[in-house]
Amino acid sequence: MEISVASSYYLFILNIAGIYIILSVGLDLLSGYTGLISLGHGAFLAIGAYTSAILVDQAGLPFMISLIISPLVAGLFGFVIGFPALRITGMYLGLTTMGFGFIVKRLIIALREWTQGAGGLEVSSPVIFGYTITSDWDNYYLIFTFVILAVIIGRKIGKSKIGRAFMAIRDSEQAAEASGINLAKYKMLAFFISGLFAGFAGALFAHTNHFISTDHFDMMLSIYFIIMVLVGGVSSIYGAVLGTLFIVLLDNLFVPLLGDWIHGYLNTNTGDIQLLIFGLIMFLFIIFQPLGLYGMWLKIRIYWRIFPFNPRKRFT
Amino acid sequence: MAELNIQNVHMQFSGVVALDGVTFDVKEGEIFSLIGPNGSGKSTLFNCINGFNRPQNGSIKFNNINLLKKQPHQIITEGIARTFQNIQNVPYMTILDNILLGAHKRIDNKSTMKRWISRKQRQNEEAMGLEILDFLGIANYEQKYMAGQPYGIQKLTEIARALVAKPKLVLMDEPAAGMNEQETVEIAKIISEIREDLGITVLVVEHDMSLVMSISDRICVLDSGKILAIGQPEEVKNHPDVIKAFLGDSADA
Amino acid sequence: MRKITGLLVILGLLFIGCGKQAPAPGVTDTEILIGNIQDLSGPMKELGAVLPAGSNLYFRYINENGGVHGRQIKMIVEDHQYNPQKAVVAAKKLIEKDQVFCLYQVIGTSTTEAIRPLLAESGTPLIAPATQSGTMSDMSRPAGDLIFHTDTGYDKQTNILVDYIIKQDANAKIGLIYQDDDYGENVLKGAAEAEKRNGVSIQKEAYQRGATDFTGQVGNLIKGGVNNVIIAGIVKEPIIVMKTAAAMGYAPQFFGTSPTMDHRVALAAGPAGEGFIAANFAYLWNSDAPAAVQYRELCEKYEVPEAYMGMYHFYGFITAKILVEGLKRAGKNPTRKRLVNGLETLNKWESGAFPPITYSSKDHAATESVILVQVKDGVQTVITDWVD
Repeated sequence: MEISVASSYYLFILNIAGIYIILSVGLDLLSGYTGLISLGHGAFLAIGAYTSAILVDQAGLPFMISLIISPLVAGLFGFVIGFPALRITGMYLGLTTMGFGFIVKRLIIALREWTQGAGGLEVSSPVIFGYTITSDWDNYYLIFTFVILAVIIGRKIGKSKIGRAFMAIRDSEQAAEASGINLAKYKMLAFFISGLFAGFAGALFAHTNHFISTDHFDMMLSIYFIIMVLVGGVSSIYGAVLGTLFIVLLDNLFVPLLGDWIHGYLNTNTGDIQLLIFGLIMFLFIIFQPLGLYGMWLKIRIYWRIFPFNPRKRFT
Repeated sequence: MAELNIQNVHMQFSGVVALDGVTFDVKEGEIFSLIGPNGSGKSTLFNCINGFNRPQNGSIKFNNINLLKKQPHQIITEGIARTFQNIQNVPYMTILDNILLGAHKRIDNKSTMKRWISRKQRQNEEAMGLEILDFLGIANYEQKYMAGQPYGIQKLTEIARALVAKPKLVLMDEPAAGMNEQETVEIAKIISEIREDLGITVLVVEHDMSLVMSISDRICVLDSGKILAIGQPEEVKNHPDVIKAFLGDSADA
Repeated sequence: MRKITGLLVILGLLFIGCGKQAPAPGVTDTEILIGNIQDLSGPMKELGAVLPAGSNLYFRYINENGGVHGRQIKMIVEDHQYNPQKAVVAAKKLIEKDQVFCLYQVIGTSTTEAIRPLLAESGTPLIAPATQSGTMSDMSRPAGDLIFHTDTGYDKQTNILVDYIIKQDANAKIGLIYQDDDYGENVLKGAAEAEKRNGVSIQKEAYQRGATDFTGQVGNLIKGGVNNVIIAGIVKEPIIVMKTAAAMGYAPQFFGTSPTMDHRVALAAGPAGEGFIAANFAYLWNSDAPAAVQYRELCEKYEVPEAYMGMYHFYGFITAKILVEGLKRAGKNPTRKRLVNGLETLNKWESGAFPPITYSSKDHAATESVILVQVKDGVQTVITDWVD
């Protein structure tokens, strides 16, 4: 009885994770594959969310059409943000994209007529072929259908010449150029694709959450996204999926559990130690497991495949 | 008809002269070597041909097309591929994928889309890489990740990545650097085969004199951005300026 | 592909057997469980500690005196870090996992707005959300019939303040400093109404939540020749604004909306804060109002640390009184529906701190009036009766 009643809560958290996975796949292509750090992906999520809310509830477009237009709008913004990325990289790009997040927030507040400013916007439920999606279960099937699609498309891109070009740009711009890869074009493309994924996630986010506001898309969210990709293992789509699940579950299920235990020792709030835990996890992953969760999984798989025969050697 | 014409190229970096009126031709089907001490401008010249550096003066033409008007990523479409002295690859990609990177221009966008739904297209793509791996004799390495591979293999993939683009001219920056004697002999064999079997012109920068002397049709000696001597291996070897400036020590040794 | 489909099915199977909730969740023979979502580690964490402590003070008193119809009140506090997404997760947890009877005192406007769909879906009442946004008592919104707002809205407060200023000086030049979020949004709405009604124009200066430098805003107000400034901030902002103004040799009459009524404003602003007038939706904690007297007695009895005592702690205390009254009126066998019906029978009910409270099935705004409190010689003094 207890498990079944609570299950709706876990399902709900899984749905959140699903939406974030779609975004992480796109972010992985940008930051993991291409090595262009974005600390503003919450803003792309916001663009997708607000665009879809306005298109459906104010312009009266069907949800399915908005699912196509909203990602394109977010992708277009990505394209624009791609321009500074042609000249700057690393931490400076991180700061620029972070600034982009603030600009988008201003923009949302300024476009009061459509967004109702900082007050937040109520959003209708998704309607697909006349069927209104309301329950957590409906949301689950809707979201995870697209999660599977996103993962497949993400992997296809990653394994094609586009993915190779992205990774070459990350590891050696010279080799990439000598191989005929137009750096400017592919960097912009990375931002565009990543914007598409985030915009799509945003549209789903708005309609399954029913309420969006500028407070939803604060800077911490963007930082969480980067942590998800890092922990999962850069330049692996499955890694992005694992990392997102790991962080969302940690954030919503395990940290609160730990909270009670920690209260016994420290007079602090769970929220305060949460950042500490995330920071620590990221630190440990970067030092000991740069290939992330997916890398760990690969090692475990190899371990079992060759199990009885001298496994230790393969671990180093 | 000469393929690569380098005319009076002059290049300086904030006052330091790297290339000072360098002029030579590389003919079709030739193996042409550039030698000279460190800092003599060999790599700078490569970077000029490749579009990474822009000389202040002079012209570089390939089959009468002005390369100085091209972006670095457009050079390969003119038929010029290159390898790097310090290995440039993607560690967490398989060797096959690393090589296919070089085939970027051979795979058009339409076939990339097709590849997403058709297994056949993917096989076509992989066949491009496997062909070169076979040629270099490292086909069994295709699915291995680049990270952690022996240095020799990494050097060979560097060459493979250049060859997979099907260039007319390949620029090789110190292909034998860091190799042992046996590997160097193998590299020499591969360079000859690139010309013999694939019909590709080779412009090579190298320090290893025995390698250069054994494979080159012609050699150009650079010193402080100027050409000291140019000609067949025997001529260059006995050129008094060359002996004085550069070969002196290593010829004795 | 088949592998992924399989995964989807397995994930789905995990959740099969999801049943409906029990008729009166959170209520046992001995206990009533209520949920509270506070900002314990976000930008407003100072309030997060104090508000539930004030509520627990009253619950403790009630519990020690036999509880409500023999049931002890137990409150679970969750943290939302002032993030609406986290608020939804917390509400979902409280409602579906912990099975609380009702929600109470959820802090913040966007955070409360975000959980509206959940409240409506599960039929969970929310008593006394800790925000003075006028949108809370908008009955046309989702879950409007389940949210009982106790405080006078920011829009209404702004209206009252502007009216008050115009009454004192018909030619007053009014300025407004507001936070650029949902709070400010509601203040702006009130300002627009007041502008229209009084035929004046108000100079508006925005600041970002968490800002600590107001030189630009104050400079603009000086340039605009403003002589009456309404500060729609919380605690820190009015202090800094008034100190900045003093440093720049600018001395208009300052006003503040209800979040600025904390006694720390008067204390910390010092001479710069002298004369500051704040709108308040309840009597002061150190006044002679019956609830305030009882509050101070209980603080002494239960040895509440002095740092806690103040307007926000008191606010937690008096909203708890309203919740308890609602629970009493819900009867011996409370259901969520009975709680709503019980609260809707409140008619000019005296809480001892708020103005008389009236709820009905058509109106969930408890009060529409404020008292004005001025800092005189460093002490907060009530200067008006209830004005609306």
